[in-house]
Amino acid sequence: MSDELEALLLERAALTLEELAAGCCVEVEWVVARVQAEVLHDKPPPDPALWSFSGRDLLRLRRIRALERDFDANPELAALVADLVEELDRLRVRLSRAGLAAD
Amino acid sequence: MEFKDYYQVLGVSRDASAEVVKKAFRKLARKYHPDVSKEPDAEARMKEVNEAYTVLADTEKRAAYDQLGHDYHAGQDFRPPPDWDAGFEFTGRGFSGAESAEFSDFFSQLFGRMGGQAGGFRARGEDHHAKILLDLEVAYRGGKRAITLRVPRQDAQGRVALADHTLNVGIPKGVHAGQVIRLAGQGAPGVGGAPAGDLYLEVHFEPHRRYRVEDRDVYATLPVTPWEAALGATVKASVPDGAVEVRIPAGSRSGGKLRLRRRGIPGEPPGDLYLVLEIHTPPADTPRARELYETMASELAFDPRQHQGG
Repeated sequence: MSDELEALLLERAALTLEELAAGCCVEVEWVVARVQAEVLHDKPPPDPALWSFSGRDLLRLRRIRALERDFDANPELAALVADLVEELDRLRVRLSRAGLAAD
Repeated sequence: MEFKDYYQVLGVSRDASAEVVKKAFRKLARKYHPDVSKEPDAEARMKEVNEAYTVLADTEKRAAYDQLGHDYHAGQDFRPPPDWDAGFEFTGRGFSGAESAEFSDFFSQLFGRMGGQAGGFRARGEDHHAKILLDLEVAYRGGKRAITLRVPRQDAQGRVALADHTLNVGIPKGVHAGQVIRLAGQGAPGVGGAPAGDLYLEVHFEPHRRYRVEDRDVYATLPVTPWEAALGATVKASVPDGAVEVRIPAGSRSGGKLRLRRRGIPGEPPGDLYLVLEIHTPPADTPRARELYETMASELAFDPRQHQGG
């Protein structure tokens, strides 16, 4: 086993555009097109050099990429599915909070 | 190593057209999509389906697989002959090398060199991703956790196989579900002296018998007696980072919440801890207990159903 590694929590504004692209295993241009299509929730500043992303953005964009790849979905449709999945997650948390099973 | 029958995985015949293979894949991708599937092994099945489609959707890979596997059936012991893949050029179906590393040993043996680079090339290693299950206590205190991942390793002959790789990770306190933590330099090694990629871990909590977690807020039930709820009381309650004394206001109802500010998961700002009151009634299992209940029944004008109507 290796020595102890230091883990970094990714909060808001934790990732650069290049890091996000590498984290999604895609080209930077792919991310730029998705951000400009507003598939992430916040409207970005015009200059991509000023963009920064959270860990949640990373998970959302990886989900969108898998949907586009698996179903040949266009980015807007993949984003809509991601919206629904995230809403489902929130509702499941509320069900669990109310002491109800989530299925 | 077991032979994998990719046609069987997708449920198509060996002479299925590309269109039929694609339709079968999409149907299964919908069925086993980890975000929505109710199948217990959805994630594992989705990997298997992705692996099968990666091979069968690619003309070159499918031809090589057909040539190699026409005498084999699923589960049979399999060793690829040396240089079996000479003359084929493999590329990925939208999967990076890091992602296809999650496929089976069978896939790695056959197509492990997919995306390999010639000498003189320099590129940062790919980032790897995994999910980890943590206990709630680590969110409060931080701590060391051993995490085992499967990673591709190349042997002296250039063959790729999956190996377990255990990392000893210091988890910072304040971690919460849905968050991502990054381990710098723990992804795939770089090529030509370039730096290694990073490892991203998506955090999930083990289900806890007492606590539920929502973002940084933590919920627990607090059992109380009817007289503690009615008259008010100060009681001791165990919480994830120890025990606290809480004051139950007189006239509390079952389901009422006590909020302990800043006693949820640490952070900026920290979450809150909610104790949800659950009134437990004592059993009427002695003459004295029955007498007390009968006294209440005759002397208290209490009808919990009075607002139900009908």
